[in-house]
Amino acid sequence: MHPATRRNLILALVPLAIVAVFLQTRIDPTVADLNRGSRTPFAGLSTEFILGPLLGMQQAVAGLLWVRADEFFHEGDYDAILPMVRMVTWLDPHNLDVYITGAWHLAYNFTDASERSDRRYIPAAQKLLEEGDANNSGVYDIAFELGWQNTDKIKDYARAHHWYRLCAYERKGADAGGELTQPVPMFVWHQLAHSLARLGRIDECIEVWRKALAMSNELVRKDPKDYSRRNVRDSERHNLELTLKRKFSRYAHEIDWTLDSKRTRSTDPVTGSPTPMDACLFLSSQEIQRKAEQFRAVSAPAPAMSVGSPRPPAVVPQWETAFDVRPTFSADKVLDLKGQFNVGDGARVTIRLHDEKWRPPQLQAFTFNIDQDVTLMQDQHSVRQGTWGRKIDMSKDPKMYSFKSERYFLVFEFDPRGTSPFVQDRFGWSGEGMTDRKYLHVETDKNPPNRILRKVYRITRAQVLRREPITEADVFPSSEYVALQWGGPSRPDER
Amino acid sequence: MVTLAIAKQTLEEMLRRKILLILLIVAVAMIALGPSVGFLSPRESSAVLRSLGLAVILLAGLLITVLTGIQVIPTEIERRTIYTVLSKPVQRYEFVLGKFLGGLFTVFVMVASMGIVFLGVLRYQEGRFAPEMAQGVMMTFFQMTLLGALAIFFSTFATPVVNFFITFGLFIVGNLSSVTESLLQNKNIATRLVASAVHYAIPNFGNFNIQNKLIHPQVVIKNMNMFIMQNITYSLIYSAVLLILAIIVFDRREV
Repeated sequence: MHPATRRNLILALVPLAIVAVFLQTRIDPTVADLNRGSRTPFAGLSTEFILGPLLGMQQAVAGLLWVRADEFFHEGDYDAILPMVRMVTWLDPHNLDVYITGAWHLAYNFTDASERSDRRYIPAAQKLLEEGDANNSGVYDIAFELGWQNTDKIKDYARAHHWYRLCAYERKGADAGGELTQPVPMFVWHQLAHSLARLGRIDECIEVWRKALAMSNELVRKDPKDYSRRNVRDSERHNLELTLKRKFSRYAHEIDWTLDSKRTRSTDPVTGSPTPMDACLFLSSQEIQRKAEQFRAVSAPAPAMSVGSPRPPAVVPQWETAFDVRPTFSADKVLDLKGQFNVGDGARVTIRLHDEKWRPPQLQAFTFNIDQDVTLMQDQHSVRQGTWGRKIDMSKDPKMYSFKSERYFLVFEFDPRGTSPFVQDRFGWSGEGMTDRKYLHVETDKNPPNRILRKVYRITRAQVLRREPITEADVFPSSEYVALQWGGPSRPDER
Repeated sequence: MVTLAIAKQTLEEMLRRKILLILLIVAVAMIALGPSVGFLSPRESSAVLRSLGLAVILLAGLLITVLTGIQVIPTEIERRTIYTVLSKPVQRYEFVLGKFLGGLFTVFVMVASMGIVFLGVLRYQEGRFAPEMAQGVMMTFFQMTLLGALAIFFSTFATPVVNFFITFGLFIVGNLSSVTESLLQNKNIATRLVASAVHYAIPNFGNFNIQNKLIHPQVVIKNMNMFIMQNITYSLIYSAVLLILAIIVFDRREV
């Protein structure tokens, strides 16, 4: 090669190298976007899986690990699944199912001998989902799961509403080609409406049902033969009408639901008033007498009532629930409960026992590590014929219930917002129709205010171990308990 | 013309090699069997099928490229056929370029064959043509182009065994570009300097891994076409740098 040619070639290398470096600086941000949420590719992997990520095949290794995790699931080996979940999310931070399934395992599948969930894992489950949502913020899937977990498992309807709202208004679904152009499925809107009902925000709930119905009508108009969409549309119409009717019955004139199904021909689309009005009228003097007795029982003034006149709202007069419970420890760490609750069958009382100093943790980042010394038990029990009772044996699961603290709170709670619709038909969405001489706690800072029944005991380890009895002297003021737990007059609506 | 003649001869020679054909057959069989693994992962069968398919193409492409790149020049020297070639009016740079292009055509034929089978399997399994997956196959090809240039460069002065380990090692380091990129923000200045040197001097094979976007449609990239074009340009420019270096080194080499 001629020396001049060699020199020219060497000189040509300089601009080429500069262009290559420049291109790399332009490529880096997109690569960072692609790998958002992923960690060092070989972190935590066993040797047989290391080579794949090193050769740029993270997704393939993640897929194989996920297949293996599925095998563990079918073998019931839940403990083995969690580390794999963590590795798969590191290798492939865009695999939505891994976050969703991993969080489900954490929140639901670690249980004691009586199938009660180990609720210490719930903050970790939530954090895993939040991490997944941050890594996949264009789609609705993980945000929806956060909403569902808050609805179904945690019963924090305010947080559930936050996530459903985010899904409905700010997220998209993927079309057949994978592009994020599609509106979210209608079930997202349905859950948004349900969450508003659970928060007692009924007018907003009705508006969401109307919006969903309008969207479904449009979809049916475009494709009248799509029976699935027509079914969805019919469900929305039914739910809208039922919510309007329930609002009318609870806060305007109580509806006799048996009569309603037989005689009502149409429902006013704005007020929920049935036509004809038969189902909301006093049709006999016996009915009037029964209602008058309810007013007398709580010493409330009764309105003028005659045959043919409209009934007062279902939540009037307020119903004395006579909520109470007597807890004892019948053996070491075996809690024996006998309670009374003057309410229809099927209402559920929440029972919670936890260390005095335990507070709902706010995790900064996801971790599987939980404080094994914390004792946190939560259960629910249904009321039958005005009483309820249950034996909760915590002696068989020392890992879940270590009882290392000296003091505990034992809490019994009824939240009308989480109860069944037929119980709400008497009490209203926010407990407007119930009262209790001893244990009513009104969350006045909420809109609308929520009326909760709560009895709190502060007990000691000696009482848990049956060295001392639990007495009414151990009852702790509900408002002080709430202030200790959540630092305010009530549980916060939005965290 | 001379360059293309050498490239054609190299392609024919490579396609006669049983080891490469066996690799191709095994890879095609693995892609075809992909659906049987996919169903094991409920609701994610499509993602597993796609990720495994792309991984098989990458792995097979990697082996084919390295085996081709490390052998094309040393074999000619070992068999002494290079004397016959260079005694003709053939420039050394034409020889190097011809060998590189021959190897590249071989890789193209292999990767394209696997890609066609892969797209066919996806069409059969998912009931629709998935043109976006062709992008993944194309990116693998340009990744292999860069790797092939690297192997050719080292083959001008290193033995095939040494070349194999160097090329393979640099491929691994180049795949860690996301790690070196994150180290560019490190507080330690020495770490930052080393990371910069590695990140910008070593070919970044990790740039070409777009499986995330292809497997999970919800991953949004601002301008995918621009990103692909940048990577293709990067591959071609970096390959040009390596080939110039190879020509300079080979020109001075005693054969």
